[in-house]
Amino acid sequence: MTSYSNRGFFNPAYHDSETLEIDKRSSSKPHHANPYAGEDPYRNWGARTELTDQTPRYDAEQQRTAHRGGWQEESWRGGEGIPMGPVSTHQHDLHYSTFQIALDSQYDGSPSIPLPSSMSGNMTMRWRGLAMRRMFPNTDPAHVAFTEDAIRNQMENEEQDRVNELVAMSTRERIRAIRELPMSFEEKKHIRNQVQAFSRKPHHFTIFEGCSENVSLSMRRCGYSVRSTRQTLELWHGIMKEIGGKFGSSVLSYFVFLKWLLMFNIFSFLINFGFITIPLLVYNHTPNVPPNVNFRGLEILTGAGYFSYTVMYYGSYSNETLVGLVEYDMQLAYFFTIAVYMVLCGIALIFSMASSFKKNYTLADLASNSAWQLLCSWDFSVTNERAVKQRTNNLSVQLKESLSEKGQRELLTLSEKVMHFGVYLGSWLLSTGLAVGCGASIYYLCQYEQQRATDAASWSLLQEAETLLVPFVVSLVNLVIPLFYSLFNKFEHYSSQRRQIYALVLRNVILRMSILGVLCYYWMNVLPDNFSCWESMVGQSLYRLVIFDFFFLMLGSFFGEFLSNVIGTRLLPGLGVPEFDVARNVLELIYAQTLAWIGIYFSPLLPAIQILKFFILFYLKKVSLTQNCQPPRRSGRAAQMQTIFIFLLFFPFFVGALSMVAYTAWRLTPSEQCGPFRGLNNTFEVVGEWIDGLREIPGSEWAVWIYQHVIRSEIFYFLLTLFILVIIYIFWQVSQGRKELIVLLRQQIVNEGKDKNFLRDKLQNLQKSHPEKHPKQKKQKGLTKQRSDGHPSGGQSNSNAMVQALLARQQLEEEEEGRSIEGVPVPSDISTSSALIQAMMARQRAETHSEGLYQTPGEHVSSSSTAARQRVDGRERSTDEYGSSAIRTRVRAEAEDLDYLPASSIMMQAMDARQQAEEEERFQWVPAPPQNLAPSGSSALIQAMLARQQAQNEFDDGY
Amino acid sequence: MGATASQLGKDLLSEYQELTFLTKQEILLAHKRFTELLTREERDLNLNTRVPMARILTLPELKSNPFRKRICYVFSTSEQKDGSLTFEDFLDLLSAFSDSATLEIKSHYAFRIFDFDDDGTLDRGDLEKLVNCLTGETDDTQLTPDEMRQLINNILEESDIDKDGTVNLSEFQHVISRSPDFVSSFKIVL
Repeated sequence: MTSYSNRGFFNPAYHDSETLEIDKRSSSKPHHANPYAGEDPYRNWGARTELTDQTPRYDAEQQRTAHRGGWQEESWRGGEGIPMGPVSTHQHDLHYSTFQIALDSQYDGSPSIPLPSSMSGNMTMRWRGLAMRRMFPNTDPAHVAFTEDAIRNQMENEEQDRVNELVAMSTRERIRAIRELPMSFEEKKHIRNQVQAFSRKPHHFTIFEGCSENVSLSMRRCGYSVRSTRQTLELWHGIMKEIGGKFGSSVLSYFVFLKWLLMFNIFSFLINFGFITIPLLVYNHTPNVPPNVNFRGLEILTGAGYFSYTVMYYGSYSNETLVGLVEYDMQLAYFFTIAVYMVLCGIALIFSMASSFKKNYTLADLASNSAWQLLCSWDFSVTNERAVKQRTNNLSVQLKESLSEKGQRELLTLSEKVMHFGVYLGSWLLSTGLAVGCGASIYYLCQYEQQRATDAASWSLLQEAETLLVPFVVSLVNLVIPLFYSLFNKFEHYSSQRRQIYALVLRNVILRMSILGVLCYYWMNVLPDNFSCWESMVGQSLYRLVIFDFFFLMLGSFFGEFLSNVIGTRLLPGLGVPEFDVARNVLELIYAQTLAWIGIYFSPLLPAIQILKFFILFYLKKVSLTQNCQPPRRSGRAAQMQTIFIFLLFFPFFVGALSMVAYTAWRLTPSEQCGPFRGLNNTFEVVGEWIDGLREIPGSEWAVWIYQHVIRSEIFYFLLTLFILVIIYIFWQVSQGRKELIVLLRQQIVNEGKDKNFLRDKLQNLQKSHPEKHPKQKKQKGLTKQRSDGHPSGGQSNSNAMVQALLARQQLEEEEEGRSIEGVPVPSDISTSSALIQAMMARQRAETHSEGLYQTPGEHVSSSSTAARQRVDGRERSTDEYGSSAIRTRVRAEAEDLDYLPASSIMMQAMDARQQAEEEERFQWVPAPPQNLAPSGSSALIQAMLARQQAQNEFDDGY
Repeated sequence: MGATASQLGKDLLSEYQELTFLTKQEILLAHKRFTELLTREERDLNLNTRVPMARILTLPELKSNPFRKRICYVFSTSEQKDGSLTFEDFLDLLSAFSDSATLEIKSHYAFRIFDFDDDGTLDRGDLEKLVNCLTGETDDTQLTPDEMRQLINNILEESDIDKDGTVNLSEFQHVISRSPDFVSSFKIVL
């Protein structure tokens, strides 16, 4: 111990070890009497021994039991009381009892270790240690302390490795890595300090480093403050928390989605307003309204009349180049603002869709009702007492359901299957028919309206009111038809709730798409021929749709939630309080947002209306939710539904809106009397003209060249597509490969589990077959060990062997590092599992030894001490009375090579070494040539074990 | 290191920001809430004052959580294992339950919370306690022993990859990674 710490003190690598940390601290704080802090543990313990020398040996045992107040001690030492054999020498007794006292004072809450870092380190260590210890369920609990010691060493090593890893990282990565360590705050701080101390040393004198350090520090600070501001700007934090606390995260996801869409709209409003509207207003701030048009109030609903002359719509934007401080080309501004906004929206959607997909789908389990799914979906954010009670009830019902479902997976008869299929078919036909019918009727309604409407500068009030017919019908359809769909759903029998929801969502999507498709067709093909300023007309229609959609959303939450609440509580208590239908509500939001996206070209300020709408809707829904609804009965897969919704928002809806706008820009002739693009054949020509203009400016040939050869060339797009396809194919192949790898790894885990069980069973059998021979032998072995190692050990059990294996490893690493001059530590290659295997081997060996001893009592002492020595531990022993040093050094020599080999071969070598050792024993210390077995994983391990067992049998037979 | 939020030193604050997943606002809020739990005399002491578990559990965010005691025990660094928390323990708790904490952190702590006997693995006893915690204590919601046995069998069949009769940390993390709702629901907001 002494040499260990002294050497370590000058070796930078050792500043990471926890022991030393304690050493340093305790020298600065002398009042901490840490048992580990002493310069020479031997002396300390020796001193204490003076007091307890005469105490009977069982005192320690009792004392320990009495001290059990602690947290872990109880479970660790729960099964103690294994009888100890009589002690042979007084000296052994002395060591035994001293150790116990030291141990007690250390672990039973005495004030000797008040250092936070060591204490919290202990906690993690204990926790880990327990995990390790479980591998030996039958071990003598009295020995745990020793195991703990070894595990502590192990932990130190791991910590050191971790610190080394961290030192190698860049600052940003390191901070992230430290933050992501699953440790307590104190431990993280401790590690960070170590890492910092470590990484600063080599280059603290270069100015550049210092500068970059400072820069990165200030950058980090800046990042934190950005994060903080974002948090401050977080809208509705309190309300969100309240909703989550009462209704759980699935309902909350609706509000999160609403907020997300609101952000989209705020962004689009800002850029539209900033780049299109403000320049126009600055240049010419009076709206160009004919004298006979004035504000009548109905415009708020219809968007026509007075509004059509304001900056609300496409028509009132000019095509001029505004000349103020700088030249500002309205045409280009309009085109690029819309284009950039659409592209940014698309990118944002793709990214959020992809990340959500990655998180929620690729790894997700397909079995919908698995028990874990239910257990893991407990909402920690639910804080309302009643909600918690309700959730527990619901969860228990769901668990019971899942059990009964699993128990009786109903087998349908053919006729039942046919009937179900018929119902599906019928309801799908009916719902699709309804959707198509609605689309058709809306188309005819639009045509009818168009026949009545005139292209006049001002409409009469009645004419204006007539325009409200289409949006009214559309919104009504959107409200009523989904109710029918829900009704169909009641008659169908879906095997899982998820499929039911998907079917419902899909039908609603088809309905809305058909309605929007018909409207778009009408706007694109019919309106341009009949109106002089048709873009504004489209804008007005969209405005009306948005407004009416809003009214019907309000009506929907009144009818859908308030009325059914009244009916459920007053009139028909059997129905119960309604639940908040997340799917329906989110689809409504998606529809509303699609309208806004389509309208962005025709009415650049539509996002403003949308912002207002969503803002009011948020409060409305919140009130309706808290007043009328109860928390959902099923904790569904909220996260997956969220992904589906983002996907839906992207795929039919956003892509539809984008293609509509793009079609308008590329193919349709803009109206000739109004709007920024008057006089052009299509909107995209703006870019061509701009490029033509650029030709005259010297130094801009490259832009022209790019336009000519990249943007307008088919070859470029062809190559681009080809390239993307190739990349997609490669990624697809990679993911296929990963899938195979996952299967293989899984198989490997299963195999390792089997191996572990097999080995454990074998060990337990062996243990059972020689129960009576242990105590004496173990006792002596342990004592030898204790004397030789300076590591005290209490009771003697087979888990000793594991400890020894760990210690052996520890020592090896230590020696490695001692040798390396710069103090760069060599990370160990040996995995825990190989250590475990070694330990098992060692344990088995201990048993076979005891067997041997039983048969040859004459050699008792000699072979037992050999057994101890073969475990690579002796450090300060000066004498080798029994002549086994040859073996010891050989084992060690071999073990020193181990670090450079992969784990499996290490295992093999360790076994070889042991096997050899046994052979040597058998042949009365005649050295045998080392065997070279081909290392081949765990099957080789088992073979070797069997071989060894055989050898052992022969050995026994020989006697 | 005073008692009010404004007196939380700048260096300390940036250290907290660096080592936890919390933002400045969240840390200040946490500090405010934590100092509210302290008595008048304790406020004059430094940040290492421990607040006993009983007082921590008066926070409305934890009050009705079925795992409240386990949460305190897991995050407590107290030697007496009494579930008392210092401010830093409290920050740890909030950090693990925050939005930006990684799946790994969350699943690690979830595992420790669910590991009722602290033996490093979820065995049948732990699972039973977990289910009982989630279904409530009353008789009508609790599962019958038969159902419980079947449920635990299902759970083990589903997640015990190496077939040793218990669920260890990596098996648990595997399960968690396949249930996407976990991240959004393992969350406590102050």
